Amino acid sequence: MTRLIDRRTGLFLAALALATLAAPLVLPTHLIPLMGKYLCYALLAVALDLCWGYAGILSLGHGAFFALGGYAMGMHLMREIGARGVYANPDLPDFMVFLGYDHLPWFWWGFASFPYAALMALVVPGLLAFVFGWFAFRSRVSGVYLSIITQALTYALLLAFFRNEMGFGGNNGLTDFREVLGFSLSAPATRLALFGLSAAALAGCLILARAIVTSKAGKVLVAVRDAESRTRFLGYRVEGYSVFVFTVSAMMAGLAGALYVPQVGIINPGEFAPANSIEIVVWVALGGRGTLVGAALGALVVVALKSWLTATFPDLWLFALGGLFILVTLALPNGLLGLAARFARPRPRAEVSA
Amino acid sequence: MRLLTLCLALWLLPGLALSQSLDDLVARLPLGDYADRAAVVDQIGRTGDPRAAAVLEALLDRALEQRNVDGRVVRVTGGRGAQTATDVLTGEDLGPVASRSTTAIRVNNGLRRSIRTALGMLTLADPDPSRRRAAAEAALRTPDAEQIDALTDAMAAEDDPGIRQALSWAHAAAVLASDAPVADRMAAVETLSSAPALTVQSALNPYREAADPALAQAVSRALDAAASRQAVWAQAQTLWFGVSLGSVLLLAAIGLAITFGVMGVINLAHGELVMLGAYTTYAVQEAIRTQAPHLFGWSLAIAVPLAFVLVGAVGVAIERGIVRHLYGRPLETLLATWGVSLILQQAVRTLFGPTNREVGTPDWMSGAWQLGEMTLTGSRLAIVIFALAVFAGLLVVMRHSAFGLQMRAVTQNRAMAANLGIRTGRVDALTFGLGAGIAGLAGVALSQIDNVSPNLGQGYIIDSFLVVVFGGVGNLWGTLAAAMGLGIANKVLEPWAGAVLGKILILIFIILFIQKRPRGLFPQRGRAAEG
Amino acid sequence: MTPPAIGATRAAAQLYLDGVSRSFDGFKAINGLSLAVQPGELRAVIGPNGAGKTTMMDIITGKTRPDAGVVLWNGDTDLTRLDEAAVARLGIGRKFQKPTVFETHSVEDNLRLALKAPRGVLATLLHRRTADEDARVTALLEQIRLAPQRQDQAANLSHGQKQWLEIGMLLAQDPALLLIDEPAAGMTDAETMETAALLKSIAGARTVIVVEHDMDFVRALNCRVTVLHQGAVLAEGSLDHVSARADVIDVYLGR
Repeated sequence: MTRLIDRRTGLFLAALALATLAAPLVLPTHLIPLMGKYLCYALLAVALDLCWGYAGILSLGHGAFFALGGYAMGMHLMREIGARGVYANPDLPDFMVFLGYDHLPWFWWGFASFPYAALMALVVPGLLAFVFGWFAFRSRVSGVYLSIITQALTYALLLAFFRNEMGFGGNNGLTDFREVLGFSLSAPATRLALFGLSAAALAGCLILARAIVTSKAGKVLVAVRDAESRTRFLGYRVEGYSVFVFTVSAMMAGLAGALYVPQVGIINPGEFAPANSIEIVVWVALGGRGTLVGAALGALVVVALKSWLTATFPDLWLFALGGLFILVTLALPNGLLGLAARFARPRPRAEVSA
Repeated sequence: MRLLTLCLALWLLPGLALSQSLDDLVARLPLGDYADRAAVVDQIGRTGDPRAAAVLEALLDRALEQRNVDGRVVRVTGGRGAQTATDVLTGEDLGPVASRSTTAIRVNNGLRRSIRTALGMLTLADPDPSRRRAAAEAALRTPDAEQIDALTDAMAAEDDPGIRQALSWAHAAAVLASDAPVADRMAAVETLSSAPALTVQSALNPYREAADPALAQAVSRALDAAASRQAVWAQAQTLWFGVSLGSVLLLAAIGLAITFGVMGVINLAHGELVMLGAYTTYAVQEAIRTQAPHLFGWSLAIAVPLAFVLVGAVGVAIERGIVRHLYGRPLETLLATWGVSLILQQAVRTLFGPTNREVGTPDWMSGAWQLGEMTLTGSRLAIVIFALAVFAGLLVVMRHSAFGLQMRAVTQNRAMAANLGIRTGRVDALTFGLGAGIAGLAGVALSQIDNVSPNLGQGYIIDSFLVVVFGGVGNLWGTLAAAMGLGIANKVLEPWAGAVLGKILILIFIILFIQKRPRGLFPQRGRAAEG
Repeated sequence: MTPPAIGATRAAAQLYLDGVSRSFDGFKAINGLSLAVQPGELRAVIGPNGAGKTTMMDIITGKTRPDAGVVLWNGDTDLTRLDEAAVARLGIGRKFQKPTVFETHSVEDNLRLALKAPRGVLATLLHRRTADEDARVTALLEQIRLAPQRQDQAANLSHGQKQWLEIGMLLAQDPALLLIDEPAAGMTDAETMETAALLKSIAGARTVIVVEHDMDFVRALNCRVTVLHQGAVLAEGSLDHVSARADVIDVYLGR
């Protein structure tokens, strides 16, 4: 019997709770949104690990779901600016006035409402993943083919969102946000609240992901990963399971994006860049795929490394990231957690077979 | 007839006799009245002497004057009080002249027209064919009834068929502009209708409303015909742009067709290998610029083998160092080669800087050719030919070389190939190296049409994978068909949907297509493929 | 048990194939194959490589669609319209030639995943273990002699143990028909004989079709034999009967 909260998860959750409570006391206020951003990345990594680590679906387009969630929240924040924009137009965001829109496009309707925007941050990525997955998994597209078309998906979205005609602010994206639910985004209390929410979302999604992978459905997912045709011949409709986990994972990514945007203050099409999506993969791979907690840790380690390197030795960052990809695949197939487990136990238990 | 003889004499004896006659004619310019002068101008126009144009232009500018002392015709330049004279034919400096010491050779409007006609004649008779062609095209653009005779004469003297054709169109346009009888003008419309569609349109449009109904009808018929002809050529041009883009895709994808299609290795560093090929071209050109500028025309010929070998060697190193440890683990290979791509990008950025590098185009590639009514630029044409040559070369290597045989043996049954004494590790490395080398070749070609920057490869990697997957993995002909099909589809969609939206539509189409037929257009045959 | 007569009616047969053909790029893997298997029967299908045995199994289990022909289950269900999962849910279990188990799962979890139960996403998400399931898993572990390995990762089992685990997973499905592809491949002689005994004990309550190369194993099964050749049935009857036929000898020895 696999426990919902195993030792590893318990330790991580405890550390997360402790860090969240301690952060406001030890960190200067301006660093709080940065920490919140890291937690969003960790959540994104958990989302990817759920579908890659457990169901073997290597999505190279998870950045797209993250960005879509971010755009949904960004649209709400744009609407909340209201008439305080440069053009003081109560109905249209500044960029629309600038581009000569005379009315709000239909897909912006409703985003003035926070609950609607929050719902869309989950529904839009989820729906895209569901439709995309339904087509892909039903035609039994898997492995690298799936990876390549997920990459093409995010690339197509990248090109689309760069277009001004799309109505999402084109190149510049959405920015100059002021408030969320009436609270100023630059106020320390709002920042703390968003940080706390990010931590809570990470913890909640981690527990949800644990609940999925420890259920019988989670075992079916691993079965699909390890021997897909055997699973089919046992009577499981594999595509149903794949679509399910892909959709849940995309919704988690959307949630991460929605929490990310108010903390960084901007969302632009660059988030759809295929390179971003592949970077998520290295977080998961470094931490240890198929471990959930490892994915979150991997994200925190890599992102912290990135912040440090790009500030101190900007030229070294891509060398380091590239080297990390090679190192992890050649030398650390089970990631840092696998390495830790090997030291902790004399006989390694392969969690994941490649 | 006299003129023809004269012209012939001018062609044959471009020496003394000719300059004598021009000298004589110039000396006669100040004499007589405007009518006499016009006759002389006309004769000057018929000399075809290369110096004659300068004389006539000076006359037109009222810079020609006669020296009172000796009656010599000189060109006077400079403002009042600082005038100097030069010999109008030799350019010899004759020193300053007092304003009263010379008499201007006067021109009136009738003479001016004669001068212009004579100038047109002169260029029409120029020994340089390209200037004659330019003169003929100029005459066609600005039809002038005055030029009819000159054009008739030029047509008779012309022996280049292309220029004669252009002259006949110019002549027809001039006839159309004249008050010639309707029958002649109808014939002119007939002649003009064989010209390129755009020419027909600009030459005939003014006569759409011609007073004579028969003429107006003939004009509008010719215009309609031209419009439909132009539509066909426009489609041909679109097709050509598509083939040209398809060739770029083919070049970028064909190396992947080897590493991914034949070996099953997902090489995300493929785009960076292309980029290395482009930088090789840049480095070769830099070396040539500083060491041996006269070799510049050969820079691409030098870069091609060099890029193949250098980038191929990088490929072998990647295979031996990384990829070989990951066979059978495609997702891990994908991640590791992505890492390689980041490192290569940053290495190039550190070495050459992050900005675009200038790669020159040798003269023999920069021109443009006219095929019917479409334009083929030299660099595009060269890339299409190069892409097809690389493709054909690769087919030959795969089908008819010992290495190709070993390569297919290893990919089909590794254990059996090893038992037969094939060194499978070596074959793997060389196959990967071949794919990489071809990426290098693609880089040389792409350096001619794209910005050479560290990000060059990223623009191609997704497209290349889609081409290979769309065409059917492991099928070179499928790659060719997919590259051309996608290239043409892109260009067909472009005017309709815009470049970016067109590309998005293509991406969506491929995503849907792969979901419908995961094994591409031309799947590998056999029962194994069912698995 | 006396095998029923050949050519049983389609209504009486549990599995009924008639005139089934399937070609791959012009190669006729199955060419007018007809076969009828009665409930509870143990049937061995033999034939040289490329005779179409695996393709036949693929067609029955919904992995491959035939170009032509009829494939009926219990006389009324058209198997050619169903996918693998639907065929499996009808009660047709399949064992691959290469033992295929879920390597990272424990032996026990392998069996639990196979146990007959609702297969939908929601059902498995909300699934709770029951005492009845525990009892069935324990009984199956006894039957396939893997009780001591209950908590071991399947990856750590020997080749023979994996074969047995896979058979156990088939039994856990509680199928009406078992399709078994070369179970004796890679087994020791003793394991081969034990496997034959196990399959014989399964037959009767369930129908078993075994595809096999190993003649000693087929002899040990002591059942009706169908000989496939070039995608069609060449001969059918007892092993002694078919192995006496000249054409069968040609097919096996003439190559």
